[in-house]
Amino acid sequence: MTTYTISIFTNNTIGLLNRITIVFTRRRINIESLTVCETERQGVSRFTISLRHESREAIEKLVRQLRKIVDVLAVFGYLDDEIVYNETALFKVQTPLGGQTIDIDVINKDHNAWVVHWGIDYVVIEKSGTGDEIMQFYQYIKGYGILEFVRSGRIAVGKTEKGLVEYLPEIGGWAIA
Amino acid sequence: MAHQPQTAANLLEEVLQRPTVTGAEALMLSLLAEGVDTIFGYPGGAIMPTYDALFGYMDRLHHILVRHEQGAGHAAQGYARVTGRAGVALVTSGPGATNLVTPITDALLDSTPMVCIVGQVYSRLLGTDAFQEADVMGITMPITKWSYQLTSADEVPEAIAKAFYIAQTGRPGPVLLDFTRTAQMERMSKPFSYKKCESMISYRPRRVPKPEQVQVAADIINRAKRPFLLAGHGILIAKAEEELKAFAEKTGIPVATTLLGMSAIDADHPNYVGWLGMHGNYGPNVLTNECDVLIAVGMRFDDRVTGDLNTYAKQAKVIHIEIDPAEIDKNVKTAAPIVGDAKECLMALLPLVKKAQHPEWRAEFDKYAAIEDEKITQTTIHHTGHEIKMGEVVSMLSDKTKGEAITVSDVGQHQMIATRYYRFKRPNSIVTSGGAGTMGFAVPAAFGAQVGAPDRQVIAICGDGGFQMTVQELGTIAQSGLPVKIIILNNNFLGMVRQWQQLFFDNRYSFVQMQNPDFVMVAKGFGVNGHKVSSREELSASLDTMLNFDGPYLLEVVCEKEENVFPMVPAGASVSAIRLE
Ligand SMILES: Cc1ncc(C[n+]2csc(CCOP(=O)(O)OP(=O)(O)O)c2C)c(N)n1
Ligand SMILES: [Mg+2]
Repeated sequence: MTTYTISIFTNNTIGLLNRITIVFTRRRINIESLTVCETERQGVSRFTISLRHESREAIEKLVRQLRKIVDVLAVFGYLDDEIVYNETALFKVQTPLGGQTIDIDVINKDHNAWVVHWGIDYVVIEKSGTGDEIMQFYQYIKGYGILEFVRSGRIAVGKTEKGLVEYLPEIGGWAIA
Repeated sequence: MAHQPQTAANLLEEVLQRPTVTGAEALMLSLLAEGVDTIFGYPGGAIMPTYDALFGYMDRLHHILVRHEQGAGHAAQGYARVTGRAGVALVTSGPGATNLVTPITDALLDSTPMVCIVGQVYSRLLGTDAFQEADVMGITMPITKWSYQLTSADEVPEAIAKAFYIAQTGRPGPVLLDFTRTAQMERMSKPFSYKKCESMISYRPRRVPKPEQVQVAADIINRAKRPFLLAGHGILIAKAEEELKAFAEKTGIPVATTLLGMSAIDADHPNYVGWLGMHGNYGPNVLTNECDVLIAVGMRFDDRVTGDLNTYAKQAKVIHIEIDPAEIDKNVKTAAPIVGDAKECLMALLPLVKKAQHPEWRAEFDKYAAIEDEKITQTTIHHTGHEIKMGEVVSMLSDKTKGEAITVSDVGQHQMIATRYYRFKRPNSIVTSGGAGTMGFAVPAAFGAQVGAPDRQVIAICGDGGFQMTVQELGTIAQSGLPVKIIILNNNFLGMVRQWQQLFFDNRYSFVQMQNPDFVMVAKGFGVNGHKVSSREELSASLDTMLNFDGPYLLEVVCEKEENVFPMVPAGASVSAIRLE
């Protein structure tokens, strides 16, 4: 099994997510994570989809099918070493009065994680990193009692010189000037 | 009263007071701007404002009222297949729209341009389970090339322009517009104006091939000793018949067609060797596994063509010429792909390929053709047994019409027989459901084709089973007076399924026999003339009567009940394993 990351640039139209997932469903390819956001270019959305599969050929076919969708501008498929990627996780950890106190130093320095909210008897810690790093932190913190845990999909940028939107056909202005 | 000179100020005032058109009327104007002449449709609540607008445009937009929305869809397909222009289907929301699901699926699989305009509830009611609301966008997303929901009148011109552009360019296909009652009824906020869509940033099909790809392919072709060309529907879509002919004649390469590619080359052309696939000809199937270069043009290596992929043309270098890049390497690994429009690609290849003849290689096709002719064709068309064989009928029809008719066949044994025994002389002469194999396709597609090609003889060839799936369209044919001819090759069986049960399920005939109606009486009930023939002596005269009849006509031919279609590549077997009996 290899992890692939697929970046899909699309027009920002209603229902497009549906059209994209149909291609995955028909080919019985499971989506591991999915993140959608608007890009630096106005009206252009970016889908980042990660998945695991044993056949590169199947993923190449998938990419070609995705490119066929009328509102899709471009699709790029990547292996892990071709991208810089990250995920974010939030951990709600209990800190009851008189209970075990959390060690902020270890959390900050060893795990690169940050407390982003202090409740009366809990804290919310944000941890960004690769899936593995997040799971390492999970293992560390779980002894304290995790009340809630949520993890985002993968986001990724290519290691090429140019930004991916540079490869898109010219449309509209820049959303973020 | 003296005419008042018009000042700029009062002209502006007048223009501002002139009401703008409603969304429904904008649709009429947009369709006219696209050159649409005919709409196949069926009214209902959610599309009534559009039908009301249509009332005022009756003289310019011909509307054919079908008997079931499936008929509207297939008719639009038939129209599109013979004209190359998108067929238009207009239906209401909910059940009207869901009745279009089969034709849309069919059009997607067979790359047929079609614009479906579907009524929808008021915008404010969307998602509330309102009366006759169905999630048509959701239902049709997997089966449309593109779809769009219109919630305001202002969106109409641009959406229609995009719809026709997308349906008709690249690899053609069905598009759907979900037209809310709100968008139909409200007035545009600005005067109507229409601009045809000529390009889209997110959709840019390549027409002209990359020269490097063409060169690589030409080099392979020039070194080939046993090259073989497979011509698909893409030839007809691209109108590349002349280029195909020139290419075949220059290179001496034998040409076979797919089911839908049939009629792309004259059946009597010396390079034509027959058709491919499960019930295709002997030589083309067997020699697919003996050629050294396989040039596939505008086709997609459907499993009905390839049989078992693991044993398909493994010895050959495959050149795949195709407008849809997603088809490259999808089923068959390509040595040299050329992405582009079939016409442009063949035009680019032609000057780069060398003149050749390949007489020995072509003689091999002749050898197989002779065997097939002796074992199957001759014994069928000169059959002397008591019962009439389907092949006799089609062969006689082909002679009588000189291969000039448009045949619209349904799905089953008769379809394969119609393809085998009709010798097509003109392009765009076969209209049939290939990818989806939709029973009930023929009758509505036939009158759609007749509308699109009013000067040609259109003949539907149906089975007794499939005919009954859209029999109600006889009413449409009668009402419109379209001179469509319908032949029912009646074997009193769901013959194709019966054949499989006989050959692969141990003769266990499970629900394949029907009690059929008196087809001629049914036709007459609808106001369509016809008669039934059961003896060979009367067959020729019966066909003449049908062909010479001024108006629609139904001919039922009672055929041998348990005739099997051969040759046949058993499902999942290699094309080399084709059986003659
Ligand atoms: C809508 C639909 N339902 C079922 C089938 C499966 N099917 C394929 S051929 C066939 C039999 C067709 O019978 P008939 O129309 O009498 O033609 P014949 O094969 O006898 O010539 C059936 C049931 C189909 N292709 N389409
Ligand atoms: Mg039958």
